[in-house]
Amino acid sequence: MSAKLTGDVTMRYVDLPPRAPADAVPVLLLHGFGTDFDMNWRATGWTRALESAGLRVIGPDLRGHGSSDKPVEEAFYLPEHFVADLVSLLDELGVERVDVVGYSMGSRLGWELALTMRERVRRVALGGFGPVNAFAGTDLSEPGSGDSPFDRVYRAVAALPGNDTAALAACARGQASRPFSSDPLLNGVPLLLVSGERDAVAEGAAGLAGRCGGVHVEVPGRDHGNAVSSRAFRQAVVDFLLA
Amino acid sequence: MAEESITFTLPDLGEGLVEATVLEWQVAVGDVVARNAPLVEVETTKSAVVIPSPQAGRIAELHAAEDQVVPVGDPLVTFAVEAADEAPRAGIVGRVPPEEARPARRVRLKPPTA
Repeated sequence: MSAKLTGDVTMRYVDLPPRAPADAVPVLLLHGFGTDFDMNWRATGWTRALESAGLRVIGPDLRGHGSSDKPVEEAFYLPEHFVADLVSLLDELGVERVDVVGYSMGSRLGWELALTMRERVRRVALGGFGPVNAFAGTDLSEPGSGDSPFDRVYRAVAALPGNDTAALAACARGQASRPFSSDPLLNGVPLLLVSGERDAVAEGAAGLAGRCGGVHVEVPGRDHGNAVSSRAFRQAVVDFLLA
Repeated sequence: MAEESITFTLPDLGEGLVEATVLEWQVAVGDVVARNAPLVEVETTKSAVVIPSPQAGRIAELHAAEDQVVPVGDPLVTFAVEAADEAPRAGIVGRVPPEEARPARRVRLKPPTA
C-alpha cells in the first residue's frame, strides 16, 4: 500500500448555509455505500428537515461516489483515506467542529472520524450501522454474487445510474481490508444509533450504543434500504442534535 | 369561501420506474400543508424518497394506504384549496418540482496520508 497509490482525489461537496445566522454547530452528513449526498440526504427529506431546524449542512460525495472522483484501485478506499478527506474538507471550510450524521458506510466512517479527530466532533448520530462485520459472508472478489446482507446492498446500488461498479467493488474491498472493530469503544462523545427493526446490517446496534453510553432508537418495520427516509429517524436525530 | 379540489398523482420518479410503495404519509386528512413540506415517503425498487408537497392547501383525501403499491400517474392525494379567480391555477398533475439548485462545489483535496 504505497502512498503514491492513494494520490489526490477530487471531491464534490455541498455546503448549505443556515437559514438564519446562527452559531449552531454545523452538521456533516456522510452518505452510505453506493449512493451520494443528494440521494441519501436530499431526496429523503433530510436537508429540508435540518435546514428547517436552522442548521448548516455540509456533506460530500465520498470518494468513489456521486460526482467525486472514482478510482478503481482498492488502495484508495481505506477508511483512513475517507477520514483524511473529511478532515481536509472541514479545514477547507474553516469549520472547527461538527455534529456527524452518517448512514451505513457513512456511519462507519463517522465513527472513525470521531475516534481519530475527537476534538473536531461534538455529537455523533449513526444510522444503519452496528458492530457486526458489514462484509461477513461476502465474496469480495465478486461482490453482489452471494446472498449476504452486503451482497444485497451491493446489488441494489450497482444498478443505480452514475455508479461505477469497478469503483464500488474497489471501495468494498478497501473498507473490508480494515474490518470494523468496536474496540476501542466510542466513549466520551454523545452517541445516537438508529436502525430499522429489520436491518441485518445494523444487528447489535442497541448493544453497541449501550456499551458506549449512548442511545439506540429502533424504527419499526424498516430495513436497511428504507430506514434512511423514515420520519422517525430524522426526528430522533434532529432532537438529539438540538438537545 | 369557495373551495376547489386539486388531485395530485404519483409523479414520474425517473429511471423508468412505474410504481412505488407508500411507506408513510407525512400528512393526514384535514392538515393544512405548505408547498414543499414533506408529503409522503415512498419506496421504489431503487430507493426510498420523501416527496414534497407540490401544493399548499388542506388535505382532503389520501388515495393510497401505507404499504400500498401505487402506479405512476394514479391519484395520490387531493387538496382542498380556496378558489381564487385571479390567481394562477395550480396544475392538476405533474412532476414533483425539483428543489432549487443549491450550492455545490468541488474541492481539490490534498493526498491523504497513508
